[in-house]
Amino acid sequence: MIRLDDVSVAIGKRTILGGVTFEAAPRGLTVIVGPNGSGKTTLMKAMSGEMAYGGSITMNGYEVSKAESARQALMRAVLPQATALSFPFTVREIVNLGVLSGRSGVRGGFGFDLVEQALAAVDLQGFSGRFYQELSGGEQQRVQLARVLCQVWEPVLDGQPRYLFLDEPVSSLDIKHQLAIMETARGFADRGGGVIAILHDLNLAAMYADNIIVLARGRMVAAGSPRQVIRDSVIATAFECNLGVGKTPSGGAPFVLPQSFSP
Amino acid sequence: MSAGAPVETNRTAAGDRTRRARLAILLLAILLLATMLLSLASGASGASALVILRDLFGQADAEALRDRIIIYDIRLPRLLLGALVGAALAVSGAVMQGLFRNPLADPGLVGVSSGASLGAVAMIVLGPTMFGSFNATLGPLALPVMAFLGGLITTFVLYQVATRQGRTSVATMLLAGIALGALAMAVTGVMIFIADDRQLRDLTFWSLGSLAGATWSKIYVVGPIILASLAISPFLARGLNALALGEPTAHHMGIPVQKLKYAAIVSVAAAVGAAVAVSGGIGFVGIVVAHMLRLAIGPDNRYLLPASALLGASLLLLADAIARTIVAPAELPIGIVTALAGAPFFLWILLRKRGLLDL
Repeated sequence: MIRLDDVSVAIGKRTILGGVTFEAAPRGLTVIVGPNGSGKTTLMKAMSGEMAYGGSITMNGYEVSKAESARQALMRAVLPQATALSFPFTVREIVNLGVLSGRSGVRGGFGFDLVEQALAAVDLQGFSGRFYQELSGGEQQRVQLARVLCQVWEPVLDGQPRYLFLDEPVSSLDIKHQLAIMETARGFADRGGGVIAILHDLNLAAMYADNIIVLARGRMVAAGSPRQVIRDSVIATAFECNLGVGKTPSGGAPFVLPQSFSP
Repeated sequence: MSAGAPVETNRTAAGDRTRRARLAILLLAILLLATMLLSLASGASGASALVILRDLFGQADAEALRDRIIIYDIRLPRLLLGALVGAALAVSGAVMQGLFRNPLADPGLVGVSSGASLGAVAMIVLGPTMFGSFNATLGPLALPVMAFLGGLITTFVLYQVATRQGRTSVATMLLAGIALGALAMAVTGVMIFIADDRQLRDLTFWSLGSLAGATWSKIYVVGPIILASLAISPFLARGLNALALGEPTAHHMGIPVQKLKYAAIVSVAAAVGAAVAVSGGIGFVGIVVAHMLRLAIGPDNRYLLPASALLGASLLLLADAIARTIVAPAELPIGIVTALAGAPFFLWILLRKRGLLDL
């Protein structure tokens, strides 16, 4: 269980995030949405122990700000928005960094290769020998996700749930891989882990989230199930944009929703 | 994970360079042994390394006695010092490149080298007048001790400048290192300006670098420092690997980033300070060795660091063998050899492998 109680973050004297309170339970997929600059990434940085915060954030009972990096790394893995790489690593070497950084929880038998398994989970079979720098942006993002998955491969370890923090995991992916990655995240939650993801696509959020947290100007403006949150009034307040939920385009203009996906 | 059936894999999986890296380390160890033997056998005098064999069989004539002195008191300490310095410079270069996430970083960047030089130059020029008693107590060790202190103090100042609220900014440290290095160079320039002719000659030779002054007492002083720093490096490897993905990601992966930075900086400052103190300015080893190895075995620091130690030691011994024999009975400063051989070779590597180095 992850509990946030009145979390605030200040840079210098300016408070950029305040009054955030919610719980993220294992088996749940929590999606954070909000306009640019609303504090989504800041919130995730506080939760992953990168930024000092006020209030309290506990993960499986440990206060994040007091837990050592190594302990946090056993409980959660983090996919940042962008990862810069400074040396020519192969894809396998990158993913293997994830295997070595936490405890995958996997007992590898003969011929079992966690790196290949993880690459398969992000639809990158056969990429392990390639150089990371030679891949496209979307492929690089999926390699990073494979690395993150390896760190907490088993969603439950020693009876404790583990978590995936994903900051815009599908931002540079095509629609097929957006769905594939969301399915992978959903699967992680279904098997007992917890997922917290920042998304910009409200349709994907509505489709996969158990809980949606809406941030705007550093404040929580709504929280709840997709039905409770994805409403005209919430969207108008948070995004300052007049949209109609469930409204189809007039005049037969084509549109395609991720919800129409059939595996 | 729900990825379906297990994926079939070969025994040597694609993209896995660990076997190649292990083989390289084995070959480099053999290379080091070979260069050590070569180094023991070659020199200005014709002393034969066979004396060691003869010793074992108990034949000690006058010639053997002379050879034994040359081998045990001149060549052996020089060989050990060369190996220690080469390993220290190469590993420090690799660690700095990992820490600064920059393939162009070398120990010179954190101000250790320039600080150590300043210490040494100050000792040569001001030593007789200002540090009289210090000089008298330490004797020939006064110079290395001052150089070591100079390097350590510069690094410490730099670390303080770049650390705010318990976090060390690598970028600030890099920039401040350049500024502090320039400052140390300027003060060194002042020293050179006020130096007399004899001091000037000492200065020049020291700054070109040489292993000629190797003695057992120097090894007793710098050996433990360099060996301690080399012994720490395997514990830095995992953290430096994670750091290649950036500091936040390294933290996500469970690395205590601030502790890692502190340990890396202190160990590099100590090793390079010690190396510069006894051998002067030997360039290029710190930057070239790690590069060559990264192209051959990949950037995984678990293998890169030990391989750098072995190759750095071998290359410095080779350079020293060349320096000792090419103009015998005189001797070329080793810094000239490493620069003459290292710089063109480095350029050649860059030209051939530009694609791989681009980030």
